[in-house]
Amino acid sequence: MSGRGPSRLRAFAARLRRVLRGPRQDERFDDEVQEHLRLLEDRFVGQGMSRGEAALTARRQFGNTTLLQEDRRALETLPSIERVWQDLRYALRTVGRNPAFAAVAITTLGLGIGAATAIYSVIHNVMLAPFPYRDADRLVFPRIYDLQQGPEIGRQGYSASEVMAFVEGSDLFDATTAALGENVRYRHQGGTESLSGAHVTPGTFTFFGMPALHGRVLQPADHEPGAPPVFVLRYKTWMERFGGDVGILDKTFVLNGTPRTLVGIMPSRFGWYGSDLFLPAAALAGRQAPTREYWFLVGRLKPDVTVEQARAQLTVIAQRLAKTSPDLYPERFGVYVGTLIESVVGPIRATLYTVLAAVGLLLVIACGNVANLLLARATTREREFALRTALGAGRTRIIRLLLVESLILATGGAAMGILLAWGGLKALVAVLPPRVVPSEAVIALNAPVLAVTLAIAVLTALVCGLAPALHSSRRRDLSDPLRDSAKGTSGGSRGRRLRDALVALEVALSLTLLIGAGLLMRSFVALRDVRLGLQPDHVFTAVLQLPADRYVTTEQVTAFLRPLLARIKALPGVAYASASTAGALDGGADTGMEIAGKPPGASRTMFRQVTEDYFEALRLEFRAGRPFSEADVTDARRVAVVNETFVRTYLAGDAPLGQRVRLASLERGAAPVRDAWFEIVGVVGDVRNRGLRASVEPDVWIPSTVARSVVHMLNVRTSQDPATLTSAVRREVSATDAAVPLIGPGRLADLADRGLYAAPKFGFLVMLVFASIGLILVTVGVYSVLTYSTAQRTREIGIRMALGARYADVLGTVVSGGLQPIVVGIAMGLTGSVLLGRAISTQLVGVTPYDLRTLAASAALLGTIAAIACWIPARRAARVDPLIALRRE
Amino acid sequence: MEAKKSDVLQGTLDLMILQTLHALGPLHGFGIARRLEQVSRDVLRLNEGTVYTALLRLQHQGWISAEWGTSENNRKAKFYAITARGRTQLDAETENWERVSSVIRRVLRLQPEGEP
Repeated sequence: MSGRGPSRLRAFAARLRRVLRGPRQDERFDDEVQEHLRLLEDRFVGQGMSRGEAALTARRQFGNTTLLQEDRRALETLPSIERVWQDLRYALRTVGRNPAFAAVAITTLGLGIGAATAIYSVIHNVMLAPFPYRDADRLVFPRIYDLQQGPEIGRQGYSASEVMAFVEGSDLFDATTAALGENVRYRHQGGTESLSGAHVTPGTFTFFGMPALHGRVLQPADHEPGAPPVFVLRYKTWMERFGGDVGILDKTFVLNGTPRTLVGIMPSRFGWYGSDLFLPAAALAGRQAPTREYWFLVGRLKPDVTVEQARAQLTVIAQRLAKTSPDLYPERFGVYVGTLIESVVGPIRATLYTVLAAVGLLLVIACGNVANLLLARATTREREFALRTALGAGRTRIIRLLLVESLILATGGAAMGILLAWGGLKALVAVLPPRVVPSEAVIALNAPVLAVTLAIAVLTALVCGLAPALHSSRRRDLSDPLRDSAKGTSGGSRGRRLRDALVALEVALSLTLLIGAGLLMRSFVALRDVRLGLQPDHVFTAVLQLPADRYVTTEQVTAFLRPLLARIKALPGVAYASASTAGALDGGADTGMEIAGKPPGASRTMFRQVTEDYFEALRLEFRAGRPFSEADVTDARRVAVVNETFVRTYLAGDAPLGQRVRLASLERGAAPVRDAWFEIVGVVGDVRNRGLRASVEPDVWIPSTVARSVVHMLNVRTSQDPATLTSAVRREVSATDAAVPLIGPGRLADLADRGLYAAPKFGFLVMLVFASIGLILVTVGVYSVLTYSTAQRTREIGIRMALGARYADVLGTVVSGGLQPIVVGIAMGLTGSVLLGRAISTQLVGVTPYDLRTLAASAALLGTIAAIACWIPARRAARVDPLIALRRE
Repeated sequence: MEAKKSDVLQGTLDLMILQTLHALGPLHGFGIARRLEQVSRDVLRLNEGTVYTALLRLQHQGWISAEWGTSENNRKAKFYAITARGRTQLDAETENWERVSSVIRRVLRLQPEGEP
């Protein structure tokens, strides 16, 4: 009968409907049959038969009712379990007969699914939903920045009155909260530890919408003046320092000299301000602070307020504030309003996006590979299906068989993909650069993404697995493929064109990945070559935190530092021991600046206070003048060393030595320095003070004894492994003042590694891994497709050779056939990479996205490997014995 | 060749049922069987049960529809009616049948020695 297409679907729907409707249908049908029999019987009785005779005759005329029921069920039900099981067993045998094919298909799918899911999980957890806080995407903070420097850096801490001005002067926020960081010394029997604390304003925990895990959060009453001092602990700190002991709740701890009661422990994902503990602060309104405080302000924007509106309103307020306290604002400044998420993920965002794009490409390559494998195999099996059809197999049956086979492959690939995703995620978490992932983020496998990648991969396998069945169904004449295949030529040119297109696509994508990896690698190498300006090897570093209540004057600080540095210098292997007020590779404090004899402008510089050994300990390079002498430091002489950028920026053309510089911010604060003028006695080569990519800022070094600072970095040069110094230094610090904790002791080289190189290294390594996987997949793809198509042509090749074709001719024909799509793919990949170059350019240092050497090297690498993948099957084909080839079928 | 024979028979039965429903309007299974008997007595020997298989098949294709109603002796019975799609199909099949049977007729005339 004609009209098969739509009515087949209709019939299937009818079956489904009946299966769903259940056994009631059987009875109704039976009724109908019984009624028919009864009517027949009545009729025969009417014709003069006896009841019993009539019943018998009626049955005879009607036929077998059981058989009829069976016919009906066959028409109305879906294939039985037995038949599915039979198909499954058969499909397993078919797949098992060709284990190499199965392994390649399953591995390819698994790699694609695993890599895509693992990477996307990281991106989702780190970038898209890092915070567990209420309306986390509407949490914003303002930053005052110098228009000359751009919005990336600036001031994010505000005095209580500034905070009140921002909050009360605007109608932007649903709610706000502010935090003030303080290092908290916690003394116990084992010694003194330093924890990072945050004073938080009333309502902070309601603001974030998170209840305590144990105990309670801070209540409004805790913030009242005169309330009993309490605090709340962070989960991580609780686990690490107190072993997760619930018994410490309601105990009292002496923190910075004040006994405080622990009232609550927060859940693991609460990590606000990166603090270990949270202390109640009084409301900021009308707060009179003894010294200047810097509160970090966060507001939740009202739902209809945009970041742009917030920026505009806060700018107006800041302009007003700048008039009353001009020293806190650059001359020309802007207000940047950043989201909390942006501030945390900003530095690594570009890397993660690159990786995301890479993983997408990888998934496409993997799916393309599987598609190609299945299509190639399908061509060789066309004959099998023609034979089956000729022997009476229904088209449905063949489709079902293929479906089950594809499902087996897809299931295998999915299982492997899930395993790889799980393992890959663990590996990724291990190599993620530290401190770039917000502490609130929990990196876990993302189930929806896993589902989507699984669906894509399984669908690819199913669609491409079914292709031969759909293909053969279009063929009217069933014996066609039988004849075609008997000729031993390659399967139809259309199938071949599709396979070639897929190979070209895969090659193009893989080349894009390779070029990306190459560019990132070159820029990583370039970053490695960036001169730091100091030598971080063999330097021990740690932070000293002095109790502010006992170290009030500069002299008190000096009285601690001097003997400590002398003791450390006396340790075996130590050459120099120094202290400074800023990390060796960090920027120092920022200050307004003036040079004697020049008009005071808006000049700014960074500065740090150091002891005399600092320059030798870190091996800074002097371009002119001298380092500080011991007397310079002991007598707190007004001398300064500046960097080359300072000289170039502010003293162009003048001889720097002997010039006098005023560092304005020293004249303010808790222990002001009167007339903060310094004479330049030395010029050093630039030391990176804004990271590896940003240009170096003007920098000034002055003696540590000039002004009081309760935070000092130790930098100690030793001939041994710096890490071995830790316990000796800790002992000396404790011997000098037992109340001073040693924070974060370690190698300066490690610090530089983590802080400067970790993110680019991460991007480059992940990209390299992807490019390698992509390359392997493409190689396997090219190889297997060509192997299949040459295997099909064995007979044709045999005939050619029998007719006089030589080894080289055959080799050439096969290789050039295989290389064609590869060449096309390389051209596409190069074009694509040039077009995509802009996307990656922000991450590149010292190399352009159109770097010819990288492009050429990547293309050459891919071309060579692909050529080898072509050559192996070609050689095999060319070695065919014509006699065997002709006899084979 | 068993299958081919039943194929032809099946197709013919379907065609006959469609034609019956087209000519007489809605009927139940028994009625169809009677009509077929009446028309083809002694020529076609038919298991009346196969009528029901054919009815189901035709229903699946959407060529006939079925509805529960009351039979002449006041029993519940299922009544079958031809659909618009069924009529189209009937026209096509009738034309096809006539073409095929005329060919067969011609062929049989050409070879009179084939039959006694």
